[in-house]
Amino acid sequence: MTLRVEPVAITGMTLSNALGSNCDEVRDALAAGDSRLGPSPVKVPFETAVGAIRVELPSLDGALTPWSTRLTRIAKRLVINLELELAALRERWRPERIALILGTSTAGAETTESAFQHFLATGELPEDYDLWRQHTYGAVLHVMRALTGAQGPGWVVSTACTSSAKPLASAQRLIGAGLIDAAIVGGIDTLCAMTLCGFNALGALSSKPCRPFSSARDGISIGEGGALLLLERSGEPIVWLESVGESSDAYHISAPHPQGLGAQLAMQRALDRAGCSPAEVDHINAHGTGTPHNDGAEANAISEIFGNEVPVVSTKGYTGHTLGAAGATEAVLASFALTDAWIPASLGASPVDERISIKIATERTEGSFRRVLSNSFAFGGNNVSVLLRSA
Amino acid sequence: MTSSIEVGVAGVGLFMPGFPTAADWRAGRASDEPELPTGSRLDRRARGRSSVLTKALAEAYFEAADAAGVELGKGSAVFGSALGEVGTMLGLLNQMWRDHEEPSPMAFALSVHNAASGIVSIATKNRGFTTSLGADHDTPAMALMEAIGLIAERGEPVVVVCGEEPTPTALVPDDEAWELATMAIALAPLSDHDDGTPVRLRGPFKVAPTLTGPELRPMLARNPQVGLLDLICAIEAGKSGTIALDRGRGAGWCMEVLVADG
Repeated sequence: MTLRVEPVAITGMTLSNALGSNCDEVRDALAAGDSRLGPSPVKVPFETAVGAIRVELPSLDGALTPWSTRLTRIAKRLVINLELELAALRERWRPERIALILGTSTAGAETTESAFQHFLATGELPEDYDLWRQHTYGAVLHVMRALTGAQGPGWVVSTACTSSAKPLASAQRLIGAGLIDAAIVGGIDTLCAMTLCGFNALGALSSKPCRPFSSARDGISIGEGGALLLLERSGEPIVWLESVGESSDAYHISAPHPQGLGAQLAMQRALDRAGCSPAEVDHINAHGTGTPHNDGAEANAISEIFGNEVPVVSTKGYTGHTLGAAGATEAVLASFALTDAWIPASLGASPVDERISIKIATERTEGSFRRVLSNSFAFGGNNVSVLLRSA
Repeated sequence: MTSSIEVGVAGVGLFMPGFPTAADWRAGRASDEPELPTGSRLDRRARGRSSVLTKALAEAYFEAADAAGVELGKGSAVFGSALGEVGTMLGLLNQMWRDHEEPSPMAFALSVHNAASGIVSIATKNRGFTTSLGADHDTPAMALMEAIGLIAERGEPVVVVCGEEPTPTALVPDDEAWELATMAIALAPLSDHDDGTPVRLRGPFKVAPTLTGPELRPMLARNPQVGLLDLICAIEAGKSGTIALDRGRGAGWCMEVLVADG
């Protein structure tokens, strides 16, 4: 049985990452083809390029001071960007009918790393360190509730690199079931030593800015950032969330299925749930991490479902792989095609690996884009495809 | 109230030191073995690599799924934990900064919060829906909320599994310490004319609870996921009413238990 879902209005969106602090800055950097991947501010014993936020983040003051971490300060940046849209949201819906569903893979790991180093040096945790206020998922929920006024159900998805794509599906489900009227969804991740060293130990990290789909690709570049989207039962949409396809590889904890079977399932489910054919999709924002295996498997999966004509872009050459924030970040980036009628060049892709048969857009491309798909794939074999439609 | 959707309880499962199954818990039959989960339904390689938390979550998942007759390889699963694989994370930090070694790649891959969700999907060859979430002491309530949304959308069973490994001693004061506990409930949709499901649930919503959880040893009562154990105990007690899912430490989410003739 094919399950069909009702589209949900996306009435607000923002993001902050290495490219800029808001949609306008990020859009300008994409248009200019600027990569912001550079030296890591997190000290690690190897060379790599990262997408770091290099501007001052707002501080958490007053009663929220004990919750202040890099993660929650990025959260505050995003909320400030959406101040007007959030005010309108609060006017339309009761606070207890507004859910808060976020994603992160790192949570407060960056803060806990510092606390742990202090512990190793002194035998004690820093006086101001508090696990529940600075590390756990509840910490960012507490801060976001205080900043946005949302009082409905609230949780944080943590499924590695699909963490912030899945909240779009959860919110669409809850709205469809009549459990909520609106949701603030998205995700945030910060750079930390453990992820950099972990990906390096896996042999998956590039020493230079990543080059997804290129014949010269040799690994990922890690990034940090966040994105938020406002989803509503009804309202004036910027774009529509048509559907989300979710699947599992059931294959390996950290390697993708070689033919991308789970990825195919996620994309096909997104199409089926929207009642849409592959030919109706005009652009795909690929997961496109820049590792030889991941890009190859994803290209196979895209080719199987869509053929080789739909233009595909990986934006990770601009921002780095923002891990738990990537799903929401790239849903916003993909939506720019719908609102602005152009897609950026897939930075670093040229020359494209000749074994990859799909159409990688190596230059900025103007056109009329009615539907776009954004892919996110993760450790655990977790796959998510988000389908967006123009308003 | 947020939800008026009713779902059926199709099975429960758990793993705690001394109580390796819900049947042992129900019978009040504490045993010394096994103190740690064996991950008996995982393949040898996954068993060897997985954390105590992943193996305990898997034990609870399989018991509930079996009790509910959920066909392995199908059905959805929602995993919940406040801290997830924090022990694995601390192990990696120790390796990096105390021992000055490169972190183990496999330990890094299994340090993600969704390690159990991934390992179980691989063990059951399930290409369906799985997720992993956290919301501190509201994790059980929010895992149930996600599951009820899934049932409303898809009309298929969902296994909810919540758990926490023993306290990360480096990060939590001794008087807040807790012990390992994982619990699972398999939920199923009610058919249009269903009047035979013995126990149904409604919620979660914020109301004053009318039922109370059992008296537990302090180390177990402090486990952030104990709310799901309280719900299982309320289901087993066979009395209708509302039960808190957070022992007063979260936002006050409750579940209504509806027992036929209860």
